[in-house]
Amino acid sequence: MGIINLAPKVLDPIPGGKYVVNAIDYVVNWARANSIWPLTYGTSCCAIEMMSSSMARYDIARFGSEVFRSSPRQADLFILAGTITRRMAPAIQMLWEQIPGPKYVIAMGACTISGGPFIYDNYSVVRGAQNLIPVDVFVPGCPPRPEALFHGLLTLREKILKETCREPWHEGDIRNVSTMDRYREAAKTWAALEQMKDEEMADARAKFKEEHPDYKSPYKPVRIKKEEFPEVERVACKRYGMSQLDIYKKLKAKFQSVTVHTHSEDPIEDVVAAMPADRPLEVMIDVEDYLGAVEYVKNDPEFKMDFLIDVTAIDYDDHFDLVTQLRSIEIGHKVFFCVQIKKDFNIPEADRPTSLLGKVPTISHLYPGAEVKEREVYDMFGIDFEGHPDQRRIFLDRDFVGYPLRKDFTHPEMIRRPV
Amino acid sequence: MFVPSVTNPIGDFVRDMVPRITEFLPASFQSDTLNSVVAFLVNALICIIAVCAVNIGSAPILIYMERKVCAHVQCRLGPMRLGWHGTLQTIADVIKMLFKEVYAPSGADKLMFYLAPLIVLIAPFIVCALIPFSRSLVVADVSMGIPLIIAVNGFGVLGILLGGWSSNNKYSLLGALRSGAQMISYEISFAMILLFVVMISGSTNLMSITLGQEGTIFDWWIFKIPVLGFIAFILFFISSTAEMNRAPFDIAEAEQELTGGYHTEYNGTPFAMFYLAEYIALITNSALATTCFLGGFLPPCIGIEFVDNYLNMVPGVIWFFAKVYFMIWCYMMVRWTFVRPRVDQLMDFEWKFLLPVNLVLLTAGAIYMVIV
Amino acid sequence: MSITRLPPGFKITRETNTEEFFINMGPQHPSTHGALRLTLRMDGETIVELVPHFGYIHRGMEKQAESMSYLQYIALSDRQDYLTAIQNNLGVVIALEKGMNVGVPEKGEYIRVMLQELGRIASHLVFFGCFGGDLGGQTCLLFGFKEREMIHDILEEVTGSRLTTNFFRPGGSRYDVPETFIPRVKAFLDHLEDAMRDYERFLSKNIIVLERSVGIGVLSKEDAIAYGCSGPVLRASGVEFDVRRANPYSIYDQLDFDIPVFHNGDCYDRYKIRIAEIHESMKILRQCVEKFPKEGPWRSKEKPVRLPVGRYYSEIETAKGLYATYVVAATTGEKPYRIHTRGPSFPHIAALNKMAQGHKISDLVTIMATLDPVIPEIDR
Repeated sequence: MGIINLAPKVLDPIPGGKYVVNAIDYVVNWARANSIWPLTYGTSCCAIEMMSSSMARYDIARFGSEVFRSSPRQADLFILAGTITRRMAPAIQMLWEQIPGPKYVIAMGACTISGGPFIYDNYSVVRGAQNLIPVDVFVPGCPPRPEALFHGLLTLREKILKETCREPWHEGDIRNVSTMDRYREAAKTWAALEQMKDEEMADARAKFKEEHPDYKSPYKPVRIKKEEFPEVERVACKRYGMSQLDIYKKLKAKFQSVTVHTHSEDPIEDVVAAMPADRPLEVMIDVEDYLGAVEYVKNDPEFKMDFLIDVTAIDYDDHFDLVTQLRSIEIGHKVFFCVQIKKDFNIPEADRPTSLLGKVPTISHLYPGAEVKEREVYDMFGIDFEGHPDQRRIFLDRDFVGYPLRKDFTHPEMIRRPV
Repeated sequence: MFVPSVTNPIGDFVRDMVPRITEFLPASFQSDTLNSVVAFLVNALICIIAVCAVNIGSAPILIYMERKVCAHVQCRLGPMRLGWHGTLQTIADVIKMLFKEVYAPSGADKLMFYLAPLIVLIAPFIVCALIPFSRSLVVADVSMGIPLIIAVNGFGVLGILLGGWSSNNKYSLLGALRSGAQMISYEISFAMILLFVVMISGSTNLMSITLGQEGTIFDWWIFKIPVLGFIAFILFFISSTAEMNRAPFDIAEAEQELTGGYHTEYNGTPFAMFYLAEYIALITNSALATTCFLGGFLPPCIGIEFVDNYLNMVPGVIWFFAKVYFMIWCYMMVRWTFVRPRVDQLMDFEWKFLLPVNLVLLTAGAIYMVIV
Repeated sequence: MSITRLPPGFKITRETNTEEFFINMGPQHPSTHGALRLTLRMDGETIVELVPHFGYIHRGMEKQAESMSYLQYIALSDRQDYLTAIQNNLGVVIALEKGMNVGVPEKGEYIRVMLQELGRIASHLVFFGCFGGDLGGQTCLLFGFKEREMIHDILEEVTGSRLTTNFFRPGGSRYDVPETFIPRVKAFLDHLEDAMRDYERFLSKNIIVLERSVGIGVLSKEDAIAYGCSGPVLRASGVEFDVRRANPYSIYDQLDFDIPVFHNGDCYDRYKIRIAEIHESMKILRQCVEKFPKEGPWRSKEKPVRLPVGRYYSEIETAKGLYATYVVAATTGEKPYRIHTRGPSFPHIAALNKMAQGHKISDLVTIMATLDPVIPEIDR
């Protein structure tokens, strides 16, 4: 890489040439180690700490690294700030390839070291940046404080200072082992080390026990006196807009299929009337009435449900519950429509995980905001929205197999959380 | 007929020395023509080295200064670790960039890609050669100084346009087009203000423009013509900021919008050249402002003989660079204070505001010259 | 020349004489505030249409939550909107409290409200910085972060963490506040009052800022409601909707504060409303400092977090807008059947296309800055 790596070959045979090589090493390493320009790149929480570290309080400029370049071609350092997802992985590899050598990588935060909080039951997070690109320095923390990042930077500096023309920096390879679980590997190594230590120490321990048969550790665990707290009653806040009972009655009069899901034997109206004031009414409704009901509450002057909070779904064994949460900005009441969508069991069992299992009319023509929300439900549950203008996957890749929020979803790279 | 107004001690010295050295050569080599050619070449070499030294030597200082000024505006410290208060920081940066990998993106027009940064460097170097640093320190004392500067400044656009176009990147292209439009527009008002200076000083030679301001501080063009001079100075400041593509008019780079604009795809040494060109342009523009408005190398005499004697004792070069660095400091403060206008607003500002004001200024200046 | 085959997501078909082209912005771009990718269809410098692509930081939190206990999910909520982590904690905790039917003693409520408002100020200060920074004034960015550090000092003292606080628990919070909390907040408020005066002078009346933000990215009242925008974006469009007023949680109904509303719905109003909200938050904090009960329990009796069967919904007003948590408990136990989070930034980005059409690429940056989105909260 570069002319200076030829220097030892040319100069070493010449008498005194190795001193020149050493001098070149010294100057170039000094320059490289002290002028590290990072790339502006950040995905989540760590990015904010990375920004903080370049701000007035911490001031990364003291180390000459405040020149955050937004183009990878001018950067030296790639600070991986934030979780890396499978969708982002190709972009990261490309960015790394675009940085001209010598280039260095700092993996900042737990997510880029092992997957961090997202290691178990996760289908989308890459467990560690090391699985994608070679990493020079790991900075632990969730997120690491700016001081920790500085420590990482200075550690990197030491690493650069060790390079010479004779053993120059060399570009590592891009890896693609996103299935690798670095945490477990580390745990295994750690356990092996512990065992080795145990075996080494076994004799000494036995000896100690012989010499001091009734030795007791002077350490006593500190017990903090537990504070006593009173029990406090929860106070539900005031009711705004129509009461749940009124809403239920009005909807029931209009749509026969409206019910409320209860576990008690009491009549529904009593249950609804006994609801705390700040609990939104959740009505069950048939798929056929769903669109009509939403349209009705949107246009009815007494309801005025003009604000769509969210559209989401819940997966059960034989059906999905599509929950459409609406509220009225002006009046202040909320109604949640819960539509039971029966799963289509005509589809052969092998194809079920990868095929759309339910159908429901879209409400994106009534609420433009529902368009992305319905795309999310489509992406996560595989519910087909009839008449949706742009039904594509939203969070996952186009070629992703399966619908992750279904209970029976499996992914080859998912690790179950040990209970 | 233009008469060179300066004595050229270095040139004379070389012209004097060359025959004495050639004396030692065989007689067949001795001729007046050869002597004058050699003297000319040696002089040219000295000039080139001098210009390079001034430009390339001051660029790291300016970069360091910018980083420090920016840091202190933002309540930070700036580089602190390398050398005393980080003085060696930019040197480390430059060495590092020289030893970085250099490559052109696939699909780039390689010849143009590597040529562009060189072209960008041409303009400030030529301008620098025309600036009188002191009574006897000027590389090229040409009669048509101002028109030459106006002509040469156009090279900068060419380099940026070429660089942006040859990178094969849409961001670069957008940045290049933006900067092309911006620099060509602002060149007009830039030239107009220089014309104003030419008009009031009655000369296009930079040395005579400077010497026309001899006297006290109130004889500088910025103060000599009441109000008009100051307005012209402000207009020059604005249009030269835009001419240099510096913030707040850095829409061509626009890091938040175009990730670096025309130099997005540049790395290593070519990028260092763009980086240097920005700062060399800064120093030449400041030098131009100093020459045209702030009395060049003349000391800021205030009319009290006792003080003036002391001020006159300081060499002109020092006064010149003091003023230049003051100007640079102004440019830097503006850069770190203002936000960036949008591309169309910038154009509107030039064509709908700056240019009419310039025309009015020229007219007013002409009237003033006739009356006074 | 019209384009016959459009990439997915683009809808407008039109006849033009110019050659349109597509630009890809992100996922690594300095002004997309994280890992958002926008594809722009451009006519010269003018945006014809844009399509946002999400999911570059989709971390599958909701799937993970199904195998987590309720308490563990509070820690995950930190990582959704990391600028207002402490507010997200409260959103989750209120939903759990509704299920467990526990209340919070008075001092606990005051701690909650004060930390909420501190978090709101911190988030808005980041907005101030990013707004200035995205307009090209790098100095603003640093000024915004400078005061924010003081809030983080306070948060660190109280919660033990700068950014991801994981502080509130059903029935109160993890710890009591230290004795220095109230004096520090007081000192900070006095300092911020001065600092905000300077900062407003820096941007609010700057002619270039006015030129670049007034009338840019207008979101009408109807559109804002229809897209489901909330928080400052909705209020800048002239809708007086704030969960703190509409459905007061905690003790917001006992405090005296105003809901600033602006009516133009452009970038400048979205900027001004956040500045006004900083002042309102300071007002709330001053009241809390005065009323803060010195004695008394700061949490209710500790109980295991087990929710009875049912569905629980809570909503709070974070700095970005309406943050709703929907908890489904299918069996009585420590683990949820499903937790869904409604982040405020998602609808804002959905409405981005509406706002940016016909504007320049520089305006898009301004609009993005004033929407103040946090992408991990969208993707979750």
